Amino acid sequence: MKTFEKILLTNMERPEYTGSLADYEGTGGYKALKTVLGKTPPNDLIEMVKKSGLRGRGGAGFPTGVKWGFIPKDHPGPKYLCCNADESEPGTFKDRQLMERDPHQILEGIAISCYAIGAQTAYIYIRGEFRLAAKILERAIAEAYRAGHLGADIHGSGVTVNVSVHAGAGAYICGEETALLESLEGKRGKPRTKPPFPATHGLYQKPTVVNNVETLANVPHIVNRGADWFASIGVPPKSTGTRVFCLSGHVKRPGNYELPVNATFRDLIFELGGGMRSDKPLKAFIPGGASAPFLTPDHVDVQMDFESVAMAGSMSGSGGITVMEEGTSMVWAALRLMEFFYHESCGKCTPCREGSSWIVQILQRIMNKQGRPDDLRTLTEICENIGGRTVCAFGDAEIAPVQSTLKYWRNEYEALIEEAEALKGSRKEIPVLSLA
Amino acid sequence: MSNTSTMVTLTIDGIRTEVPEGTLVIEAARQVGIMVPHFCYHPKLEPDANCRMCLVEIEKIPKLQTSCSTRVAEGMVVRSSVPHVESARKSVLELLLGNHPLDCPVCDQGGRCDLQDFSHEYTPTVSRFKELKRVFPKQYLGPVIETQMNRCVSCMRCVRYCDEVMDAQALAAEGRGTITQITHWAGNELECDMCGGCIQICPVGAITSRLSMYDYRPWMLKRTETICSYCGDGCQITVQRKDDQLIEVNSALGAGRNNGDLCVRGYFGYHAAEHPDRVQQPLVRQADGSFAEVTWEEALDRVARQFTRIKATHGSDAIGGLITTRCTNEDLYLFQKFMRVVIGTNQIDSGARYGHINGVRALRRVQGTHRWTIRYEDLAQADAIMLVGTNVNESNPITALHVKQAVKRKGAQLVTLESLLPVRSTVSNITTLSKHHLEVKSGQFSAAILGLVKAVVESNLVQEDVAREAPEFVQTIRTNVAKVSWDAIREQSGLSQTDVETAARTYSQAERAVVLVGREVLRSLGGEGLVTNLMDLQILTGHLRRSGSGLGCLAEGSNDQGAVEMGAVAEYFPGPAGLHDEESQKTLTRTWGQAVPAGAPATLPEVLTRARTGDIKSLFIVGDNPVESLPGDAGVTEALDALEFLVCQDLFLTETAKRAHVVFPACSAMEKDGTFTNTEGHVQSVRQATEPLGESRPDWEMFSALSVLMDHPIEYNEVKEIFKEIRGVIPGYGLLGPASTPPKVDEKTVAQYVTSGFKEDVDQRYTLDASPAAPEGALTLRLVQSLYHSGKYSTRAKGLMEIEGEGRLHVNAREAGRLGIEEGQTVRLANDGGQATVSVKLNDRVPDAVAWFPEHFDEPVRALFSLKVDPHTHVPVWKTAHVTVTKWSSTNRSIEERSRV
Amino acid sequence: MIFHKHQATVNDILSRYPVKRSAMLPLLNLAQKEEGYVSQAAIREIAGILDLTPPQVFETATFYTMLNLKPIGKFHVQVCRSLMCALVGADPLVDWLRKHLGIGLGQTTEDKMFTLSTVECLGSCGTGPMMQINDDYYERLTEDKVGRILKDLRETGDCSLKSGPFLVPERGEGVVSL
Ligand SMILES: Cc1cc2nc3c(=O)[nH]c(=O)nc-3n(C[C@H](O)[C@H](O)[C@H](O)COP(=O)(O)O)c2cc1C
Ligand code: SF4
Ligand code: FES
Repeated sequence: MKTFEKILLTNMERPEYTGSLADYEGTGGYKALKTVLGKTPPNDLIEMVKKSGLRGRGGAGFPTGVKWGFIPKDHPGPKYLCCNADESEPGTFKDRQLMERDPHQILEGIAISCYAIGAQTAYIYIRGEFRLAAKILERAIAEAYRAGHLGADIHGSGVTVNVSVHAGAGAYICGEETALLESLEGKRGKPRTKPPFPATHGLYQKPTVVNNVETLANVPHIVNRGADWFASIGVPPKSTGTRVFCLSGHVKRPGNYELPVNATFRDLIFELGGGMRSDKPLKAFIPGGASAPFLTPDHVDVQMDFESVAMAGSMSGSGGITVMEEGTSMVWAALRLMEFFYHESCGKCTPCREGSSWIVQILQRIMNKQGRPDDLRTLTEICENIGGRTVCAFGDAEIAPVQSTLKYWRNEYEALIEEAEALKGSRKEIPVLSLA
Repeated sequence: MSNTSTMVTLTIDGIRTEVPEGTLVIEAARQVGIMVPHFCYHPKLEPDANCRMCLVEIEKIPKLQTSCSTRVAEGMVVRSSVPHVESARKSVLELLLGNHPLDCPVCDQGGRCDLQDFSHEYTPTVSRFKELKRVFPKQYLGPVIETQMNRCVSCMRCVRYCDEVMDAQALAAEGRGTITQITHWAGNELECDMCGGCIQICPVGAITSRLSMYDYRPWMLKRTETICSYCGDGCQITVQRKDDQLIEVNSALGAGRNNGDLCVRGYFGYHAAEHPDRVQQPLVRQADGSFAEVTWEEALDRVARQFTRIKATHGSDAIGGLITTRCTNEDLYLFQKFMRVVIGTNQIDSGARYGHINGVRALRRVQGTHRWTIRYEDLAQADAIMLVGTNVNESNPITALHVKQAVKRKGAQLVTLESLLPVRSTVSNITTLSKHHLEVKSGQFSAAILGLVKAVVESNLVQEDVAREAPEFVQTIRTNVAKVSWDAIREQSGLSQTDVETAARTYSQAERAVVLVGREVLRSLGGEGLVTNLMDLQILTGHLRRSGSGLGCLAEGSNDQGAVEMGAVAEYFPGPAGLHDEESQKTLTRTWGQAVPAGAPATLPEVLTRARTGDIKSLFIVGDNPVESLPGDAGVTEALDALEFLVCQDLFLTETAKRAHVVFPACSAMEKDGTFTNTEGHVQSVRQATEPLGESRPDWEMFSALSVLMDHPIEYNEVKEIFKEIRGVIPGYGLLGPASTPPKVDEKTVAQYVTSGFKEDVDQRYTLDASPAAPEGALTLRLVQSLYHSGKYSTRAKGLMEIEGEGRLHVNAREAGRLGIEEGQTVRLANDGGQATVSVKLNDRVPDAVAWFPEHFDEPVRALFSLKVDPHTHVPVWKTAHVTVTKWSSTNRSIEERSRV
Repeated sequence: MIFHKHQATVNDILSRYPVKRSAMLPLLNLAQKEEGYVSQAAIREIAGILDLTPPQVFETATFYTMLNLKPIGKFHVQVCRSLMCALVGADPLVDWLRKHLGIGLGQTTEDKMFTLSTVECLGSCGTGPMMQINDDYYERLTEDKVGRILKDLRETGDCSLKSGPFLVPERGEGVVSL
């Protein structure tokens, strides 16, 4: 049997661990910070992270060291680090746990990362609903300042890092990095057109790195144990390390499970998650948050690294795995997610804004047995006209549920439409649009 | 910028082209004649790339790219009409039309709508969208703007324009996703500059004008390009009429000095021209004092005979003439020619006397040329801009836009010396963009300017070569300013030494620097001297001669500058040339076929005085309205009543015209041809857009007709012939239009000035005059220019009256608190001159201890003001008074009202 | 003057950013905490503090769904309706709440105690169905549990069933070492 080593959750899963500064320091916390600050040249740190193979845990999986390397070195500054704690992707709930249970792990990661990219200021952009996590982080920040792990001249290194928590107020799109920056600047959270990229024109048009909570939490461990160690876990060289996968839906034991990325969906769903919650078999699962195309039971033996999931026709995204049992309507599931996307579209791009509302209306109609024969073609075409035509990746994300369910469970759509055809004439067509 | 830019070669739909680096692909395409369809893109705005309509294929980039936000790159290959791209476009249209109502038949944009046009071009007529459309109720954003948000395509051009161009930030995109709508905020009535920009920039019919709602279909409209007559900026406007009814005014991108932007007056003020009160028939006073409508023959004959009689009995100098600067150059020129040649007098003056003359005189004196040596384009390139007493947003809104652009887009450093508080609100306020805002106490610009010069001299900011070449000039000024202490300056102007010094440093050290001088300086006592001091500042800092640097005086009237150039002011012949200028006398004598009159000139105050004393027996007043432009104690009515014969030529029966013996109905600027010279010195074509109302005629025709009847025919077939004559008498007077390069300073004049000319009055100019302190507890009441009006003419425009229909007393909230008064309450103002009851409006940009009242509605408060005349330039100054304010409770008022009944 | 008594907090917030406008969301959140919603007065005040116009503050506020621009009940019951919670029973829970409180979605009980809304994913997908009431999360909900929560809140203003620091699966609970 395989043994999986945990990195991020090790501490918090110990019964006596509270996440206080004392607890964290007691397990070697802030050692990495003291080791590198003012001693290791920032560029060496960037190289180290590159070598570790760490990739972003926020969804896109961009190599973290490479991203840091884009920050112009000769820029007079200021430069910024934004920790993306917006965690709003349906099916994802790992950052919340990391923040509430072990905030210093993140703060240490932030401080080291700031040093590496030459930023003196970091903002933790946390979704507004996470009041408890924000409070815990703020308390931890205060502790860290008192202990000299943050602030001016950290441990006599001459390095300054200031961190503050910035709470959002309810907008999924603010997880998108440029929308996050807009929001942090006090504006409507509308994504920016890229280029220019945040690395050169980020917060206040200054060089900025945006990294996910989990990404940053890995940094102290890489410093402590070396890039080679990290790179040896998972599927080197491309997908390394562990990920905290969030398991939800029709399983016995939903939750956050940290696994090396070479584990399979079967390991997660059937071993750790304890399998299906009832005797109904697995029908479908989403492998990487709401933005990832649905997969089928045929895919349970796929490894959970970025490349393997992509090969299977989906994406590993934010690491949220949602399991659905036989009997779940896939049209309904697609509709629920589509309603989410409709609700959360920032409204900037025509295809995303208008397309999402149109798709929702069609799906609602189909669900209400008022589908029309040409609906599926229309759906397909709308999706095609959204994908790749928008400012941000939200457009690509929102069509995933529809496209993938249409691909694998087209018969369910057709059955509903046939039913509608059969009912036609026997009732008036009442338009439905519920903007919940 | 453009001079250093490198060129990039790219191919668009097979066409190779070369454009400057940084050009957007959509612009590069436009330059080779390919219009990429778009909604959200607008050349005035930063790219937002939200509509996704302008997608193009770019070789080597996998996804389609928005051409509105992608900049050209060397070797780029762009395709804008391949099937892939066309289908993306079709899809965007289909998606937009999904929620868009098909109400084109009742939409004001129908016929000139981007959505309609593109749909026609790209979409099949059937839509697959058979779902529910989102529905917003129609809204009124205040009195003149309506929104139909169902038609909105969320391009955000209006919101972006309001923010990026106007700097008003008055529009909000409320909500998110499909239910985003454009509002002011939370149901509050729109309060903003009301520039109409949001209406003009909307690509569909989502924001429309309530003044022209449902009145027309665009293709029914006849369009005429002409120039707005509301201020000296001289905006190009497109006047649109259906039959003879004025429907709408707008302005085209790329046209005129305003490049498509307008202000509230230009956009919503056009109805003044067709106001029912227009005088439409010549009027002659009857024995019983009433007016009778008569024929032109009768009226002209009457005037010709009276003028001839008075001239014969009392001499030419028994007749004087006043003319408004809303007239064209041709009118102004012909008026002064008529007065000099037919009447034979030099007693002529115009509205330029109200202040603009101060600026022109100073410019002529120091730099030799009477025009700006810079243009709007130089503002855009300036490193520093200094505004001195301009209130530019209100007086010259389009100049203000150029300043805003310079600051917001190019990062010019703005220095403002204004009597305004830099409070941000949804009405734009130029001082909020200021890097150094120096809040000058009302009316104390003299001390402020002195402080600036002192700071330059004493902080070693004087250019070395100036100190070398004109040591005496520098030394004299140094000695003079040393005599004035910073304490005294602060006491009087309210400005601290450090603030003035920092501002002076910013200004002096800028490579290209522009000063704009406005009404607070030009319309003040000693205004010419103040401008001269600012010119000294230009010399000292080296900005006088530097290209891209210069000083401009803001002309308020649409042809203030023209009036001076046409010689319609007391001290100048056309040119302007001095009355003793021999060269000019020669040219005029030759052209006019008659010697110029030798009599003494008379300025407006002199004309009135001479009328009062009986020296002048008759006045010819064209469009000017001294009864209402001067305070009660100026004795205007006494002067007019003492006349034997008064002729007024006007659009309306003004308080002045009511006293006339004969009234000629004049055409508005919409009804005639000619030229205006804008504040920068651009001579622009005014074109007839509507038929003259009733029997009204263009001003010049009446002068010509009278000349014939008075046996001194000066005749022209058309306006152009007058313009030709003007070009003949003014050496170097250029062709029409915006292409003219700004004149340069005249080196000889400058040299003469710095060696000796300055000495004449330098001692007086650099002293602080003991300005009277406000009486204890009194408020300083100032008559100010409102953004929503222009003179009294605009109070006849129904749109503007909807926006601001009465004069209210503007005070800031602090002052109101101190006085115990609230918005909407009635207060009584009183001083020795009289009293007035007015209602209160809170306005947080009014300084403490000051109240503003819009001059356009000054009738009730005029008695509180008294006239002072500048001893040197005869500019009448009277717009400041000290008053006590008391709450006038509603009970008092009703008693008063009852007793009145 | 909403922010008057919070001057220190406001200053602290402003001190965190090089550009004032960044304090927008913190101030809006503060205003809502103070008054239960974002009032027009608060919008004006924030505009004044940040040197913006009220429409700029307003348009920002309307983008974010957590900010209420109208007064609501004392407790804002927000039930997650996204797919993951729906898979484990969010819809019946909403129905139950509707009946129990006697109000529809977006409505407030007559005593102004509870406002009921559905919201999209709150990041508790492994512990659904769930809801947020004011600052607190309540997870793994059953009808009994929700009944108790409402009762406690109504009676004491607080409820001990709210979530503490998040850890799922909890310690000792089904941790399988492979
Ligand atoms: C619509 C959308 C929502 C996103 N939401 C989140 C989020 O909630 N949290 C997150 O870390 N990244 C999110 N991302 C990804 C971010 O844009 C960005 O890639 C990430 O924060 C970078 O950090 P990483 O490189 O550490 O993953 C989102 C992206 C999109 C397009
Ligand atoms: S794709 Fe959607 S969410 Fe992304 S910017 Fe466009 S409208 Fe906003
Ligand atoms: S789906 Fe309910 S919290 Fe995520």
